[in-house]
Amino acid sequence: MDVIKAFRPYVTWANARGAWPEMIFSTRVRFARNLEGFSFPNRSEPRQLAEIRRLAMRAARESGLFTRGHFIKTEALSGLEKRFLVERHHVSHSLVASVLASAAAVSNDEDLSVMVNEEDHLRLQCLTAGFAIEEAFRSALKLDEALGRALPFAYGAKFGFLTACPTNVGTGMRVSCLAHLPALSRLGSMAQVLENLSHLGVTARGIYGEGTYVLGDFYQISNATCLGRSEEELCQNMDRVIRNLIRQEIAAREAMLKGRLKLKTEDAVYRALGLLKHARSLSYEEFMQNISLARMGAAMGWDMGLDFSTFNQVTLLMQPAHIQAAAGRALTPEERDAFRAEYTRKKLG
Amino acid sequence: MLCEECHKANAVVFLKLAVNNKVTETHLCPACAARKGMGLGLETGAFNISDIVGNMSGYFKDFLPAERRTLRCGGCGLKYADFKETGRLGCPECYSSFEPQLTELMSRIHGASQHTGRAYAGGAFSKLSKTEAARRLTETRAELKAAVAREDFEAAARLRDSIKELGARSGRH
Repeated sequence: MDVIKAFRPYVTWANARGAWPEMIFSTRVRFARNLEGFSFPNRSEPRQLAEIRRLAMRAARESGLFTRGHFIKTEALSGLEKRFLVERHHVSHSLVASVLASAAAVSNDEDLSVMVNEEDHLRLQCLTAGFAIEEAFRSALKLDEALGRALPFAYGAKFGFLTACPTNVGTGMRVSCLAHLPALSRLGSMAQVLENLSHLGVTARGIYGEGTYVLGDFYQISNATCLGRSEEELCQNMDRVIRNLIRQEIAAREAMLKGRLKLKTEDAVYRALGLLKHARSLSYEEFMQNISLARMGAAMGWDMGLDFSTFNQVTLLMQPAHIQAAAGRALTPEERDAFRAEYTRKKLG
Repeated sequence: MLCEECHKANAVVFLKLAVNNKVTETHLCPACAARKGMGLGLETGAFNISDIVGNMSGYFKDFLPAERRTLRCGGCGLKYADFKETGRLGCPECYSSFEPQLTELMSRIHGASQHTGRAYAGGAFSKLSKTEAARRLTETRAELKAAVAREDFEAAARLRDSIKELGARSGRH
């Protein structure tokens, strides 16, 4: 619990802000980087991995961007702490599941983080609230430049920044927005939307990134390719894609409020609100399905009793490890569901 | 373009195979590609490109000519055949050891095989990527023309200086 206690219960990047705060939860820009002279983590000796970790953590400390931040060695983490950091989007499943000498640094504001010895030696990221591609890009660049001055990044003129997987080579950059798209999901248009995105070099994943399922109609939308285009072009392309996606979601929401569908929509939203307000036990999946509908209801102008910042914070805090953090102790799944229902009832008054 | 397998849905997976110097191209829809083990995973609602590479690697492995099977990285000793199996390279040097093979693979994954983003050397990044510098160069030239037309020579002089700088950066003058 010690690591968890060091984090604040509320997260600044979960504040609702920017254009379309009801739809775009957060924006993330990450760079994949490796060090010259070392094999990639999956082919490195334990001694090399320990050295990479030492160098990376020192560079992060000395960059001045992690003052009063968190420096975490993954082997020192309990299962609950690992899950907590994944839920916070600071580390990936594969980092904490790894048996390698891996680590993470997280800034005091929790906007910047570095994963060490995941698939690549370094994964640097900036996470910001709302739809803010340019801002996230600028901050991530600052971090990239600071670490790139201190450490020799593996780079070649032809393929750019060299990475363990050829899908990340080039800029090594991934721009992603966490988008809430309940109307497109409910109208059954999502498969078509995802297919159209794939033509644009864009991919959609579940809430925790690669290889995860879609929960509560939240999709991570990100660029699938990162070689042959400049960082600015990748940002501009993602900006266009997200704006277009928002227009489609707005159109889908309007369609859900027309004719016979309106009553159905209203009924689904208020049933979800009723369930959230009165349930005595709520699994995470059930919570996500229903909070998704309530969030959409609020976006449609109906009074759900919560503003979007609270929607965001509640959505984060109801995750399994966060629930246990709020309770201050490890809970059984049954206790968790009961605690989640109680907390939700209180929040929704 | 329609899928060459079912002739119904739109083709989104383009598969180019070179076997014994004979190049064949196949265009498939997601459903047919999935049946052939190259699915985009659309049906699950979550998909990622490394699955495609991974699946394709398996598909290509059987066709690897003998010289590619024995090809090794001079840095870490990774066999090219092992890369095809796992989809993961061993060290930064693998990129120069397998450059011709990777150039072909990059075109398939990224639709390009040349980095055009920020450059990096000796711990420093170039401020702008080549393409961004070229884009700004075009913009600034138009601004210069407008400044001259409205006889704003102070602005014109400033713009001329930045054109000089951008020209050097983008490799164009």
